[in-house]
Amino acid sequence: MSTNIPGTASEMANQQTGTIQRFTNEELATKLLDIGIKPGARLRLIRRSPFGGCWYVKVDRQCVALRKLELDCIVIK
Amino acid sequence: MNNQLTIGLVGNPNSGKSSIFNLLTGLRQKVGNFPGVTVDKKSAQLTLKGLPPVEIIDFPGAYSCYPTSLDERVVVHALIKGQIDELPNALLYVADVTKLDKHLLLFSQLRDLDLPLILVLNMADLIEKDQLKVDLKQLGKRLGVPTVLVSSRSGEGIENLYAAVRELIEDPLQFRPEEPFYALPPLEKDVISDLRQELPARNDYHALLMVHHAQWLDFIDEKKRHRIQQAKMDRGLHSLRSQVNETMSRYDALEPVVYDTIKRGGEEFNTTTDKLDRILTHRIFGPLIFLAIMLLLFQALFSWAEFPMNGIEWIFGQLGDGVRYALGEGWLSDLLVDGVIAGLGGILVFAPQIAILFFLVSLLEEVGYMARAAFMFDHLMQRFGLNGRSVVALISGHACAIPAIMSARTISNWKERLLTILVTPLTGCSARLPVYTVLIGFAVPATTVLGGWLNVQGLAFAGLYVLGIVGAIFSAFLFKLVLKTPERSFLMLELPPYRPPVWRNVWNNVYQKTKTFALEAGKIIIVISILLWVMSSFGPGDKMQMAEQTATEQSEELNLDETATDDLIAANKLEASYAGHLGKFIEPVITPLGYDWKIGIALLTSFAAREVFIGTMATIYSVGHEEDEFRIRERLAQERDPVTGEMVYNQATAWSLLIFYVFAMMCMGTLAVTKRETNSWKWPAVQFFFLTGLAYFGAMLVYQVLS
Repeated sequence: MSTNIPGTASEMANQQTGTIQRFTNEELATKLLDIGIKPGARLRLIRRSPFGGCWYVKVDRQCVALRKLELDCIVIK
Repeated sequence: MNNQLTIGLVGNPNSGKSSIFNLLTGLRQKVGNFPGVTVDKKSAQLTLKGLPPVEIIDFPGAYSCYPTSLDERVVVHALIKGQIDELPNALLYVADVTKLDKHLLLFSQLRDLDLPLILVLNMADLIEKDQLKVDLKQLGKRLGVPTVLVSSRSGEGIENLYAAVRELIEDPLQFRPEEPFYALPPLEKDVISDLRQELPARNDYHALLMVHHAQWLDFIDEKKRHRIQQAKMDRGLHSLRSQVNETMSRYDALEPVVYDTIKRGGEEFNTTTDKLDRILTHRIFGPLIFLAIMLLLFQALFSWAEFPMNGIEWIFGQLGDGVRYALGEGWLSDLLVDGVIAGLGGILVFAPQIAILFFLVSLLEEVGYMARAAFMFDHLMQRFGLNGRSVVALISGHACAIPAIMSARTISNWKERLLTILVTPLTGCSARLPVYTVLIGFAVPATTVLGGWLNVQGLAFAGLYVLGIVGAIFSAFLFKLVLKTPERSFLMLELPPYRPPVWRNVWNNVYQKTKTFALEAGKIIIVISILLWVMSSFGPGDKMQMAEQTATEQSEELNLDETATDDLIAANKLEASYAGHLGKFIEPVITPLGYDWKIGIALLTSFAAREVFIGTMATIYSVGHEEDEFRIRERLAQERDPVTGEMVYNQATAWSLLIFYVFAMMCMGTLAVTKRETNSWKWPAVQFFFLTGLAYFGAMLVYQVLS
């Protein structure tokens, strides 16, 4: 994609893909790791929820729903 | 503790664990409680030829030994308890073979707890579709446990599972893994060695989990908790950081194992699920489709249930007549027919509707749609203090609030979970149906508008349901303003791939839930109807005889025919009975709502369960057959105020009653489950007074405006 690589997952554009580098919040990190979202995985924003606030996200092959606040804590490289 | 062997079924949510449980045990399941915590424990006996029976326990789904929801806590609590004889003898760990990289995390943790383990790879039916290549032998060898491949959908590979279970029963010790998967880092090791004397742990990892979870584990006392805290401080061990590091290093160790043993091909993007979700979770079509599905659900509820409901009414009518014929007239046959049989019939008549609702709701759950609904409405729900997952509870609440409240366990934030529990009883559960049916007849004329396209009574029905949902959401908002919590809220929801339902699971669910409903509600109804019958058949002192005498004299004076005389006698006797006295006692409180003392009796009895209202009205108005709604309606229509001669059931009273039944917390079962789920008397009390207060003032407002 573009050379302008965003800092966190919430700053990515719709349909953009990035690789997870790390998490900025430890509490959230334990939960994300539990459902298999880990550094090194490719994360892609698929679509926004009908009333906003969260995103349909694909991490590798897995589909998950994440709030914008949760995406804020995921650093993308 | 008896000597029977127990085997626990453990696995991630969506691993098909319960599906395996259903496959292994069929309809022989029973629901109990986990010791110490009041969470449903599903278990069943499994007997393999020539072996003593074993108890299979289906644990709730969990992602790891670091729980975020109540369900997960139950699993962790049950598996790290101190006493070895309270633990399951062995575990069947169920993992989805298509997601093995994620599902092995909890596996590796449990393996380090030194429990005999079999790895059950589920979803074998998807191997071909997903173009997977699985090297079962190498996988089992690298993980150090026996591994079987099964499909809970088709039953394929189930003999291998039986064979593995048999070996496990015959010699559990050989299944104990020898070496830990994860070697504790030095820091953790130091803390554990400081505390080793005080922790009832089997091994280092077991001790580490106790250290991390000391705050909520009930077998660790205050003193020990303090010691653990001290040791962590001294060494500078940070629990969350330690957990993250552990999880990362487990994934690092598992990755090559999965990479070497499972090769995948197939599409990564544009799978069937992707295509479906493009429409089903679309910003505009998504919510519209959701609404359409809900409409269909209620349509089905009414049209499918009619036939079996008539059948059940007929059976109970016949049964009542039969008993009366066999026993002859007398108090015993009155008690049995008017009290018990009529009461039971009145409740079992809902069984088909309950079954249909559970069928449709578990179908939506089974195919994976519920998670999408939670995703779509999360943001909206958050504004009212709820979570996207609350949608699941609010939908299933239309069948019955009890299982709906239990489904809120997947919400990890306590405040969101509590609000969901508190407001779910506002959704129009099926027990309200008969009350609505009878009363709408008085509130709304049976006419159509828009050239015959729209039935006004049907519209009123829909309106009451919408009022319930709106009421639930706004009540949540009120509670949100009052309750404070520092806890962070999460959505973080897996959206599992769409799959055709496993019918065995759906039927199992419908069967279990309907059975529980019939048994639990049946018990309450029998007690209430006997009590009510006694209270309305007897009165203090000789008041009953006096009433009969006065009525007889009165009817002679007025020259009434036989039926009218009987009616008058019955009415006067009821007024003189204990029930009558009770009704008269509360009459001042309910007069502003437009109710007389007879409605008062029905209101009081229906606090046990809403559906009792119709049965009570029937008993009070001495209509021969309680289940026959049309006769009750006719009888109610004739009811007039003895002083003013005005109709008691006018539009204002009927609307006032309807509003009361939309809001009031009238179900003992729901209150009991709220007590259980919140583990306090405070919240059921808050729920009761808030909702009933809402009902009282709402009904008063409606009555005063309309009359």
